[in-house]
Amino acid sequence: MRFLLAVYDDERRWASVGEEEAKAEVGAYFALDDEARERGAFVESGGLHPTDSAKTVRVRDGEQSVTDGPFAETKEQLGGFYLLDCDSLDEALEWAAKIPAVRTGSVEVRQLMDYEAAGVSNTAAEEARSA
Amino acid sequence: MRYMLLLIGDEDQWENLSEEQVGEVLQAYEGYSRQLTEAGAFVSGEGLQPSSTSTQLRLVDGERVLTDGPFAETKEQLGGFYVLDCKDLDEALDWAEKCPAAAAGGTIEVRPVMDYEEAGYEDPRDSAEASR
Repeated sequence: MRFLLAVYDDERRWASVGEEEAKAEVGAYFALDDEARERGAFVESGGLHPTDSAKTVRVRDGEQSVTDGPFAETKEQLGGFYLLDCDSLDEALEWAAKIPAVRTGSVEVRQLMDYEAAGVSNTAAEEARSA
Repeated sequence: MRYMLLLIGDEDQWENLSEEQVGEVLQAYEGYSRQLTEAGAFVSGEGLQPSSTSTQLRLVDGERVLTDGPFAETKEQLGGFYVLDCKDLDEALDWAEKCPAAAAGGTIEVRPVMDYEEAGYEDPRDSAEASR
């Protein structure tokens, strides 16, 4: 059986976390990835950019609207997801507008964190394990 | 750059659809997945079982606290995700408990991924991959 583990946390917490502490926490995630990989449970994972960079796409009567920020309406539910590799946010938004659910619901688009680009390497996982 | 597209809608609408209509929607997803694959943009995609099958895990003083149903608190935000292949929900919850966000006071929502073949439909991703 496959399961989605959706990770919810107060993103403002990161603003008050020091660089070392942030690296240690990201390292703990890498270590968890490795553990799940070794046990054969790992399929996919990703960290997301903060919600202020989120866009929400809807199409109604053929008209596309893109609003800033994450999805917030509580009478709808998360029903699935796509993970895409795109050249730009515009390309991701174009794909979002083609999803069948976008005509009745919403599609939230969030960029994934690139931890290597952010200066956190896999050695952080080693450090987290030996800590 | 990788992007996550979260599909959000009123899941109750599925109840009003005939089997044939459900088949049409899944075919539309199959076509969409094929377009993504052909464009080289597809990394992964999954449908989820209804939110009523969700379990939330939170650690309070190191103790696991489970709540049924999807995450609803608005002062926390979705910050990441895992897709895991587990033998049962208990194993998935064990992994959720180990997630650093749980120790940091966050919440992990655990939802089973749809198995379309088991539900009697052709898995949209299988046919998209076969057509590659």
